[in-house]
Amino acid sequence: MKHDVYIIGDEAISPLGIGSELNFQRLRNNDRAIVPIMDTHLCDHTIYAARIDEGYWSHLINDAPHYTRLERLFILALQRLINRHDIPVDGETLVILSTTKGNVSLLGDPRAAFPEQRARIPAMAAAIGRYFGFENQPIPISNACISGSLAISVARRLLRYGGKYKRAVVVGGDELSKFIVSGFDAFQALADGPCRPFDRDRKGLNLGEAVAGVYLSTVPVAGAVKISGVGSSNDANHISGPSRTGEGLYLSIREAMDEAGDVALDFISAHGTATVYNDEMEAIAFQRCGLSAVPAHSLKGYFGHTLGASGLLETVMAIHSLKNSELVPSAGFAHQGTSQPVNIITQPTQRPLNAFLKTASGFGGCNIATIFQNV
Amino acid sequence: MSELTQELKAKIIAQLNLEDLTVADLDDNTPLFGDGLGLDSIDALELIVMLDKSYGIKLSDPKEGRKVFETIQTMADFIEANRT
Amino acid sequence: MELHNYRITAFCTIRGRSIRVNGKEFLGADPSTPLGDFLKLAYRKLAIDYPKFHKMDGLCKAIFIATELIARESGRYKHHTALIFANRSSSYISDARHAHDIFRADNPVASPATFVYTLPNIAMGEISIRHQLQSENVFFIFDRYLPEFLVPYANATLDNQQADASALCGWTEITEGQCDLLLYHIGTSGSQTHSIEYLKRLYNEEDE
Repeated sequence: MKHDVYIIGDEAISPLGIGSELNFQRLRNNDRAIVPIMDTHLCDHTIYAARIDEGYWSHLINDAPHYTRLERLFILALQRLINRHDIPVDGETLVILSTTKGNVSLLGDPRAAFPEQRARIPAMAAAIGRYFGFENQPIPISNACISGSLAISVARRLLRYGGKYKRAVVVGGDELSKFIVSGFDAFQALADGPCRPFDRDRKGLNLGEAVAGVYLSTVPVAGAVKISGVGSSNDANHISGPSRTGEGLYLSIREAMDEAGDVALDFISAHGTATVYNDEMEAIAFQRCGLSAVPAHSLKGYFGHTLGASGLLETVMAIHSLKNSELVPSAGFAHQGTSQPVNIITQPTQRPLNAFLKTASGFGGCNIATIFQNV
Repeated sequence: MSELTQELKAKIIAQLNLEDLTVADLDDNTPLFGDGLGLDSIDALELIVMLDKSYGIKLSDPKEGRKVFETIQTMADFIEANRT
Repeated sequence: MELHNYRITAFCTIRGRSIRVNGKEFLGADPSTPLGDFLKLAYRKLAIDYPKFHKMDGLCKAIFIATELIARESGRYKHHTALIFANRSSSYISDARHAHDIFRADNPVASPATFVYTLPNIAMGEISIRHQLQSENVFFIFDRYLPEFLVPYANATLDNQQADASALCGWTEITEGQCDLLLYHIGTSGSQTHSIEYLKRLYNEEDE
């Protein structure tokens, strides 16, 4: 027997603030977190990125000095989610952590305040698990830039087919570090200004940092959002270059649509990193799925690319779009800039919304598409 | 000039892990990308790092790279013209 | 709970400097052999022409070799073969190399060819290209081999496939100092049942 799985709670912490409602409100105000940053501990030249301010949030958790910065952010997000929804930490609660690089900022850095051992993802997961006393050890997923969306899919699958879990908490996070910035810089993937997803003049991405999470259950409550279809497929084409035909994303979306059945999509929350090749690939995949006319946005122009958090953060914001019946514009877009048209949202629009598609793609050729709808 | 092309061949084989090739296998005019050596976009980025590290030449426009990295010979010509 | 009847069709282990397929040794080398040299020996013994192998990091090379050997036993992989991998150290070999490149005192510079391998799922991308697998991939990071989690998740994944259940799963802990890999293909035929008990036994038996 297959159970339906619902999102019944969500949380987001980003440079725009603490709390998913607040973050959504900031999007409605057209507030963008991307700023020029000159910090030699990140990069020897100015980069445009979105960074969470230090200080004002650390006291919100216990024993803060015992945890790395990223662990503190994870703990704060989990604590808010658990307290708000009274989530039991017993053996029926599955805990999944999504991160692309975890505490990697500790690696090789002479300034690091924790031993290098803490850079290992299981050490981070254990620290977070200990804080809450979870009966089940938190399960980390590290699958490049689709980690966040994939973590939702993994949790859903484990709830869907029965077994020991009745509910799941899925939280994803990544932070800015020299490790990540230097790598994307070497890839010539960083824009020299605020990023412009799907725009003709896009020149690359901005990195960001965030922690975001969802609470999944097989029991719908008022305001629950159903996860009605998921598809995931590798391009089998190149380990870093997006497919020229959008094949993996196309297959992912088709699979998600087949599973969701007869659902009219009201909007698409695209990956939209604002690199030339990613956005072009997505436009082709959407066209091949007959979705060119569906209103679409990328939220990278507000938050930057938050790596392992991005799929979760952007899903959470899209859920608030559903709840508020409001389409959020795609920051940074002015002119069509892909070979296939995409119906980019340019104005905040109030209208009844029932269902949306979230997509993500990443290094290693991975892609994922998820369809969410009101219950 | 031929000293530079020889040096480039050795560097490219080492830097791009072209295990099965030796300097003698590489012709000055073999295309590095496409049907020639079959290098890809990551190799191109790696060559850009190599130009910077070994010859002090910064290449930030990927379009420029396409011409520079056409063959060993075009790379050598570019380095001769630009090195500091 | 449903009764699953998925079978292990073939498996491969890499332990220290020994590679075994379905329990039979494919290659052994002196324990002091550097990881890179050992994996290159294995590649040569496979007798295939795949120059991209030499660009991969140790994690990808080990997974590539195991995947190649399993295919020789269980047959060509179906395009939808799901990939479910886990390890402890993620992409540590490349992580450490990239960190060294950017923090060293003299001429620190990032290498794109190193950075791209600082993601464990790149290995799944590499074998997807090699075997044309247009399938779902997930990379878990655990503190230890955890069949108690992997088996139920793999079962749920196989239940989710419409027909022709097929998945490649396992534990892929590869660092310079330690090789601890157990990869196995799950399908609908084969003498061994895909179960936590069997996979525990397999992991321990091969660990001599």
